[in-house]
Amino acid sequence: MALSRMSAKANWKGFSMKQARCGLLMAAAMMLLATPAFAQGGRKPAGGKPAPTPPPATAPAAGAGAGAGGDIELDEPAKPAGETPPAGGDTGAAAGATGAGGGICEIDPSACPKQGDISTLSKRDVRAEVYAVQQIYALRRGRFELNPYWAFSLNDQFVTHPGPGLSVNYYLTNVLAIGLNGTYYQPFNGDSDFNFQNRRATRLAVPLNEYQLAGFLNFTYVPMYGKFSGFNQFIFHYDGFLTGGVGTVRSRPIAVIDPDNRKFDWNTNVAFDLGFGLRIFLNRWFAATAELRGFVYPEKIESTTVASTAVEQRDPTKWAPNSELTVGIQAQLGISVFLPFSWEYRLPK
Amino acid sequence: MPKDRSQMKRTLVAALAVAAAAVTTVAAEKPAQAQEIQLTGPLAGAPPVRRLRQYREGRADITVGWAPTLLDEYKRTHFLAGRLQYNVFEWLGVGVFGGFGVLSLNTDLTDKIETNAPRNSRTAVNLPRTGGPKFEDQVGKLTWMAAPQLTFSPFRGKLAVFQKLFVDTDLYLHGGAAFVGVEERGECGPGGTVCTDPKSFARASRVAVAPTFGLGLSLYLSNFISANIEYRAFPFSYNRGGFDSRGSGPGADFPNPEGRIDAEDRTFKFNQMVFIGVGFHLPTTPKLSD
Repeated sequence: MALSRMSAKANWKGFSMKQARCGLLMAAAMMLLATPAFAQGGRKPAGGKPAPTPPPATAPAAGAGAGAGGDIELDEPAKPAGETPPAGGDTGAAAGATGAGGGICEIDPSACPKQGDISTLSKRDVRAEVYAVQQIYALRRGRFELNPYWAFSLNDQFVTHPGPGLSVNYYLTNVLAIGLNGTYYQPFNGDSDFNFQNRRATRLAVPLNEYQLAGFLNFTYVPMYGKFSGFNQFIFHYDGFLTGGVGTVRSRPIAVIDPDNRKFDWNTNVAFDLGFGLRIFLNRWFAATAELRGFVYPEKIESTTVASTAVEQRDPTKWAPNSELTVGIQAQLGISVFLPFSWEYRLPK
Repeated sequence: MPKDRSQMKRTLVAALAVAAAAVTTVAAEKPAQAQEIQLTGPLAGAPPVRRLRQYREGRADITVGWAPTLLDEYKRTHFLAGRLQYNVFEWLGVGVFGGFGVLSLNTDLTDKIETNAPRNSRTAVNLPRTGGPKFEDQVGKLTWMAAPQLTFSPFRGKLAVFQKLFVDTDLYLHGGAAFVGVEERGECGPGGTVCTDPKSFARASRVAVAPTFGLGLSLYLSNFISANIEYRAFPFSYNRGGFDSRGSGPGADFPNPEGRIDAEDRTFKFNQMVFIGVGFHLPTTPKLSD
C-alpha cells in the first residue's frame, strides 16, 4: 500500500515535471522567435507576409516600391509605370516574364538572359558605385549634445589647470552647432614642486597664474566623419570637429614675488577659443570625446619688482601693472550624450 | 499528495512567469543599432570589411619626419626622427623609432635665469658666476633616441573630409624601450670638483633607459605613401636645471641640497613628444583581403 502510494506520488510528480518542462520548452521557443528590429522595419521578409497592397496603376515608378505603407526598397529596381503585380503574393522575375498573356521573353527574347550570358556576365568586373560612408551613423541635426569632460592644461609647465567642464551644443544642421561650454578650475590649480625647486636654486621667481573658470559661446563645425573596423570584427563610427568662439576666462596671479603684501582678486578677461576634437560613437546617442582647445586672453602678470617703501608695497596698482597676451592650451576628455536619443532617417525617394 | 501537487503547480507557474518575463524582455521593441544586421543569410559570420587593402601586412615601411618635445622647462629639443618597421600581420608590427636632436632651443625661463637671476653665495652651486659659462650650457638636454618597439594596429578605417576626400586611415598603439642620449650637468662636490668651480658646470653624457609608449594615426595618401602623426611618452629622471636640489636633510617633499650634484638631483620628468612624418611602404602595392 505504501509502495503503491509512493509510486502514484512519483507518477504525479513525473507528470508535473513533464508539464513544467513542456512549459519551459515553449517559453524557450518563444524566446527564439525573431525579434523585429526597427532598422529593418522597412523591409518585409520575402516570404513571411503577404506583399503590400499594390499601388495604383498611375503611381510613379519610384513610388512603386514604397507602396501605401511608405516602405522604400532602395535595392529594388524601379518598376515601369503601369505594371501592376498580381495580387496575392510575392512575384518573382520569372512569374513576371512568363505570366499569362505573354511574358517579356516571348515578346523580346533578347531581353531575357540565357544561361551562357549569365556565366559571362558573372565574370565582369563589378564597378559598383559605393559611397565611402554610406549612411551617417548618428545624425545630429535638431539634437542637443551634452558633453561633460575633464580638462588638462598642456602648455603650462609651472601651474597645472585641470578641471571639470560641460559643453552643451545644439545642432542647427548635421554639421553645424551652436553651444556653450564652461570649465571650473579653481580648486584644482596645481603649483608644482618644480616652481619651488627652481626658486630655491636660482633665487628667481617665475610669475604664476591660476584660473577660476572659463566660459565660451562656440560654433562647432563637423567637416569629417568616418568609421573604423576594430580587429576586423566590429565597426565603430567617429567624426572630427572644429570649434571656436568668444567668452571669458577668470584668472589671477599667484603671489610669489611678495606674498606677504600681495593678494590678488579674480580678473574677468575676454578670451577667444579655437579647438578641434574627435568623437567616437559607441551607439547612436553616446560617444567618447577627445578635444584640444586653445584660448587666448590678456593675463595680468605679477610684477617681479618690490617697491622700496612699505606704503608702496601695499599699493595694489603696483602689484601687477602689466598684462601679457597668454595662450592656454588644454586637452579635454569626456563623453557626449545626444538628445533625443533616436530619430528617423529620411531616405531618398 | 495534494501538498506535492500544489508545490508542482507553484513551480510550474513560477517557471512560466520567469519564461514570460524573459520573453517579454527579449521581444520588447528596441531601436536597432546600425550594426545589428540580421545575420541569418549569407552574411552570417562574414567579416565587416571585404577586399580590405592591407597596407601593413607583409610590408616594411620607413617613415621620416620631425619630432619636437613638449612641456620642456629649460630646453626644447627638435628631433630629426624616423621609424623603420616591418609588419608581420595587419595588426602587429615590429620596428625601431629613433632620431637625433638637431635643434635645442632655450625656453623663456632659461633666458630669464641667464639675465635676471642673482649670482651670490646662495646660488653659487647652481648658477655660474657672471662672466663664466652660460646657464644654458648646464641645463639638461636630449641628444638622440633609439626605441625598439612593437606597433599594435587594432583599428582600421576611413575618413571622409567634406564628403569629398576619402582617406584610408589606421589608428595604432606603440610600446617598447627607449634608449635616450642625455646631456646633463656632471657630478661635482665632495671628493670631486667643487661645485662652484666654472668647470663643474659642464655637461656630461649618459644613456637613460625608459619605457616608451603612445599612439598615432596613419593616413594612406596612396598605396605606398602615408602621412603619420604620433604622440610618444618616454618618462625618466634627469637633472634638467643642473641644480643641487636634493640629497640631504629631512623632508620627503623637498629634501635639502647638500652642496653636491649627483644622481640624487635627478627628478622625474614625463617626457613627451609629437612625431609628424611621411611613410613609404614596400612593396608598393598592398594585398587585398578576401
